[in-house]
Amino acid sequence: MDNKKISSIIFGIIPIILFFLFWELFAEYGILNPALFSKPTIIFPKLYNKFPELINHLFATIYRLLVSFFIALGIGIAIGMLMGYKKIIYRSLNPLITTVMTVPGIAMAPIFILWFGFGDPTIITIGIIVAFFPIVYNVAMGVRSVDKQLVQAANIMGGKRKNLFLNVYLPHSVSYIVIGIKLGLARCWRTIVAVEFIAATSYGLGYMIWDAYEYLNFSVVYGGIIIMAILFFTIEKTAIRQLEKRTIERWGLVHEHE
Amino acid sequence: MNMNKELIKNKLFALIQFLIPFIVVIVIWEIIVYFGLIGQLPAPSAIYNKFVYLMFEKNILTNHIYGSLYRLILGYILAIILGIVVGSIISLKKIISDMLTPMLSLFIAIPTIAWVPVLLITLGLGDKTVIAAVFLGGFFAITYSTMHGIRMVDKNLINAAKISGAKKLSMFISIFLPGSLVSLIPGLRLAIGYSWRALVGAEMLAAMVKWGVGKMIYTSRFWNDVEAMFLGLVIIGIGGLLLDQLLMRYIERVTVERWGMVSEG
Amino acid sequence: MKKEVKIKVEGLKKVFEGENKVTALEDVNMEIFGNEFAVILGPSGCGKSTLLYLMAGFEKPTKGNMYLDGKKIRKPGPDRGFVFQDFALYPWRTVLKNVTFPLELKGLPKVDAQKMANKYIEMVGLDGFKNAFPHTLSGGMKQRVGIARALVYEPEVLLMDEPFGALDAQTRKQMQIELEKIWEKNKKTVVFVTHSVIEAVYLADRVFVMTARPGKIKDIVEVNLTRPREYTDENFLKVREKVLSLLESEVEKSMHQKQE
Repeated sequence: MDNKKISSIIFGIIPIILFFLFWELFAEYGILNPALFSKPTIIFPKLYNKFPELINHLFATIYRLLVSFFIALGIGIAIGMLMGYKKIIYRSLNPLITTVMTVPGIAMAPIFILWFGFGDPTIITIGIIVAFFPIVYNVAMGVRSVDKQLVQAANIMGGKRKNLFLNVYLPHSVSYIVIGIKLGLARCWRTIVAVEFIAATSYGLGYMIWDAYEYLNFSVVYGGIIIMAILFFTIEKTAIRQLEKRTIERWGLVHEHE
Repeated sequence: MNMNKELIKNKLFALIQFLIPFIVVIVIWEIIVYFGLIGQLPAPSAIYNKFVYLMFEKNILTNHIYGSLYRLILGYILAIILGIVVGSIISLKKIISDMLTPMLSLFIAIPTIAWVPVLLITLGLGDKTVIAAVFLGGFFAITYSTMHGIRMVDKNLINAAKISGAKKLSMFISIFLPGSLVSLIPGLRLAIGYSWRALVGAEMLAAMVKWGVGKMIYTSRFWNDVEAMFLGLVIIGIGGLLLDQLLMRYIERVTVERWGMVSEG
Repeated sequence: MKKEVKIKVEGLKKVFEGENKVTALEDVNMEIFGNEFAVILGPSGCGKSTLLYLMAGFEKPTKGNMYLDGKKIRKPGPDRGFVFQDFALYPWRTVLKNVTFPLELKGLPKVDAQKMANKYIEMVGLDGFKNAFPHTLSGGMKQRVGIARALVYEPEVLLMDEPFGALDAQTRKQMQIELEKIWEKNKKTVVFVTHSVIEAVYLADRVFVMTARPGKIKDIVEVNLTRPREYTDENFLKVREKVLSLLESEVEKSMHQKQE
């Protein structure tokens, strides 16, 4: 199994290497204007040189991500469970949630900048908002979808409210919570980077990219994007995968989802 | 005949049920602002007045909405066409799709907004950049769902077609394409959300763009026009909702739901 | 009366490469005559479906050859019809369009295709459901569509892979009776795979009993009973006994084999 996995990873890396190769060649021979498109051989050394600064930017972004995400997680699970448990709460909150969920975080930025100014308060607030909605929505759905039969079975076996909650609703909801976490995390970091374009004043991945753009430091722009792709691709693949492995897959609750 | 009346009554009832929470929120909101409980919040009535003002007196709201819609439609349709074409071509040979999927996943990981500086550099500060951002937002999702849909077509459907005498082209048009819809149509729905969000973000960042809902929110900040900003958010929220619930749900209903091909979840 | 050989299988071997190498079939030899209803019977996992898939051309043999009317079978083609255990109907096409599909591929004009399709849809008793989508039909109805679709382009042989396996007992019995009736009309060559002894004895002219994996033909039982047959008839039960005894030791073996 390991051999196959290693070979398929190598297999997947080849197009990426080719991509950079062609980029370099096209820029070198003028097919792509190197002034606009930069070159891998300029980008990567630049990133390497800027490494300490890079870490600071990454740190700022990840800090904002973690803070907003976990706050959203707490509030989202709480309200979501409430919604799933009590039909009337669901009925009243769901339409609001599905509507506000579609609003992009960056659209909220100007308002919050007006109220809270630039920097962390604005960025984190928006991060909380965009992470909150997918979480609460999926948690509510998860709790609502608990099989009535499971509840009846637990009731017959003498389940009190609290026991019912812990032993039936919670485990079943976990698979939906995981989905909500996946989506919430994705929207959270994407929005944070976007808001950083406008609202950050000193640090942050988004700030770094936008600042580089304004100073025509194009290689850093491309470098930032590459870093972002690798970083968050890795986070999503590893952290989320670990989470899924330990919960829903272990309990055989896998949903085929895209 | 009677069934139609029943259906309309049910739909109306569902609509009213949907709107009640909004009405409640608006009323509470109005009251809160009236009593000055939260300083900087504009009242719903003020937002509505701004709407009337911008829409009918100044006539610029239509320009904003039209500007955004025009870019959205252009970029999104481009994303559909190219997304399906590229997704299909990649799927022709398993080796190619296996090799390209990781790279595609990397590209999907990049938030569309991150592309905007690159687009500003290469396409300038105007319309083209926004349209390109809308395109990119939808393109990757559509390509991916096309590929996934084609890959997931039941092997026996392919066998059944083969033994009926289907050759490569008819196999693709009559089996793979319809078969992929089960993944493609939800993918289209996802993609329009991404495109819509990319639209708003790009409008805010593209300096030479004058009209657009996102632009309206952005410039309103410089006039401290809170009502206009909220109005913009309302329009975006409603717009996103209409696109998703009305347009996309409708498409889902007449295709994959009608054929009983809805996937789990 | 000299019987012509419709399908000939010579030294067929099929190995599946993968994480674990599996030899599904080992040296299968058989001859199927024209106009006969041949049933391949065997325990689960014995490779009988694999054998049928090879005849259909869906898979390629590792060794050996198969011939249809003297011509080597290399890939799938409209000289054979196939009925799948999981129906494999096109969900986005109505019943009528599912059945006209093979004819569309042949280039038949719409009107003619519909006429032929109608004929077969009526034959399987689904007259009122022409414009229904497959997901609205019951299992038995879906399989009828499958049969109509396989027969509509009038193939030389009909291959059926446990076609009633996904149906409940009652529907299954019903379908056996109806299939028998349909077959009696033109006596196409049929190769029918099943693991049910009763089904085999009810339908077959000859039963090919297979061994457990790796599959080989263990024995051939001729069923010389007049049709339509009675499940409770004395002679029926005798044949059933004979087939069952051949099968039982193989079922025993297959139960101790690793599940895939």
